[in-house]
Amino acid sequence: MLRAVGVSQSRGEEAVFRDLSVGVDAGEVLAVIGPSGVGKTTLLRTLALSLEPEDGRVAFDGTDAWKADDSERLSLRRRTGMVFQEASLFDASVARNVEYGLRVRRSWRDRLRDELRSIAGSKKHPHAVRESLEVVGLTGKTGQHAGSLSGGEAQRLSFARALAYDPDVLLLDEPTSDLDPRNTAVIEDAIAEARDRDIGVVVATHDMHQAERIADRVAVLLGKHIAEVGPTGSVFENPRDERTRKFISGELVY
Amino acid sequence: MERRRIRGLTVSFEAIPQALAGVLDLPFPEGYVSSIVYVSLYVSLTAVALSTLFSVPVAVAMGFSEFPGKRFVKSVINAGMGFPSVVVGLVVLFAVSNQGPLGPLELVFTTEAMIISQFVLATPPITAISLAAISGVRENVRDAARVLGGTRLDVALVVLKEARYGIATAILAGFGRAISEVGSVLIVGGNITSADGVSKTRTLTTAIQLEARQGQYGTAMALGAVLVALVLAVNAIVVRFGDQGVRR
Ligand SMILES: Nc1ncnc2c1ncn2[C@@H]1O[C@H](COP(=O)(O)OP(=O)(O)OP(=O)(O)O)[C@@H](O)[C@H]1O
Ligand SMILES: [Mg+2]
Repeated sequence: MLRAVGVSQSRGEEAVFRDLSVGVDAGEVLAVIGPSGVGKTTLLRTLALSLEPEDGRVAFDGTDAWKADDSERLSLRRRTGMVFQEASLFDASVARNVEYGLRVRRSWRDRLRDELRSIAGSKKHPHAVRESLEVVGLTGKTGQHAGSLSGGEAQRLSFARALAYDPDVLLLDEPTSDLDPRNTAVIEDAIAEARDRDIGVVVATHDMHQAERIADRVAVLLGKHIAEVGPTGSVFENPRDERTRKFISGELVY
Repeated sequence: MERRRIRGLTVSFEAIPQALAGVLDLPFPEGYVSSIVYVSLYVSLTAVALSTLFSVPVAVAMGFSEFPGKRFVKSVINAGMGFPSVVVGLVVLFAVSNQGPLGPLELVFTTEAMIISQFVLATPPITAISLAAISGVRENVRDAARVLGGTRLDVALVVLKEARYGIATAILAGFGRAISEVGSVLIVGGNITSADGVSKTRTLTTAIQLEARQGQYGTAMALGAVLVALVLAVNAIVVRFGDQGVRR
């Protein structure tokens, strides 16, 4: 559904990756694993149409997003949701954060009417907001300020915010890297829920056990290329690539 | 309605020097202080409002784009914060004088000319501080707004909202510079009262310097107290306004 085909990116002088191809289909979970600094975040931002590839193309159902005009690219971008590695919540309530994606998709007239209602205190939260908060177990925090959440809650909110407008693809950048086992389990369950809703999920992670637990397929990003991509079981048990084998067994340390 | 409220405000400011007048035995002509406060507020608030409408969009545009010479423009704006107000007054006076480009508008010694010079003085701090606040909004928050489906305008609105305290500070800094400034309003306004003693272009600051020069220290002090009260009141209102948005 969403594919990067032969994309290259560099930051400053140095190439991050070259001629890289990877894609995700509806209802599957793809884990992108690789050592720190290899370019997982850069790849996810490229897939999110937030970073234009220097070479190659990013295609959504066959449409080359960077050949499309601005409004078409906006509507393609609106089919993806992303959870960032670092905190990126808005300085507003939990509910307003989750509603953001829905709000920007409404007409200005409806948005204005909504704002007036919320000032008057007669505004109800859309069903999708409550539903997404339920998926990550945050329904009790709806009115709280996002800045006052714990790290784990903030990360869960970030997930709910990306899920609320029912995207076709979810891009998750190390969504559990700083989390305790309980919060990690909540996020992993939410990923399973997203897959059940036929969303294509790409998760960047450096936790190989997590990749084994949740992913249908694994892409191993090593030294500017995808060293190996395939079904989770076969990549972990039977890697074809020598460096993949070393990376998975922990021999390859960057 | 609006006028009456301003009246009410200025009438209550009359109370401060009147109370002091009782102690110090200072005769104020009827309506003198009110009219000075009115001119001060009218000129400063109008200039700051106009400058905000100009400066904040400029700061947003600068915060969102990279162009050659951006650093130069920034340093010009920063230098503008410390620009001598007398020189600004002089330039504006020339601009509105008979020989100047705005000569036909006949603005010499009017509140309009004072608004122009206060606008010029308030714009650098408002732009520079707003820009700093906008640049301080985390890159991630911008990215999130975009990736979650926001248009350019949506992203700009998010950034403005995130930077709102900084922008409020910028506006207060601009107001502070405008209301407490003497040099340029003296030059372009002329510190004029009409025959019955009501202020035409006399502000609190120019009145204070006039009274002090004439040895009327008590009067000058009383007017100084009004000026300080005014600045504190405006700051308190803005801070109060800002706090309503926070529910932490
Ligand atoms: N804004 C930037 N400016 C300059 N270089 C950058 C920028 N962002 C990333 N890089 C560089 O690009 C390379 C890839 O970074 P990226 O964040 O994609 O790695 P990563 O795989 O996500 O790492 P981690 O696992 O630590 O999050 C790194 O060498 C990094 O230093
Ligand atoms: Mg990363």
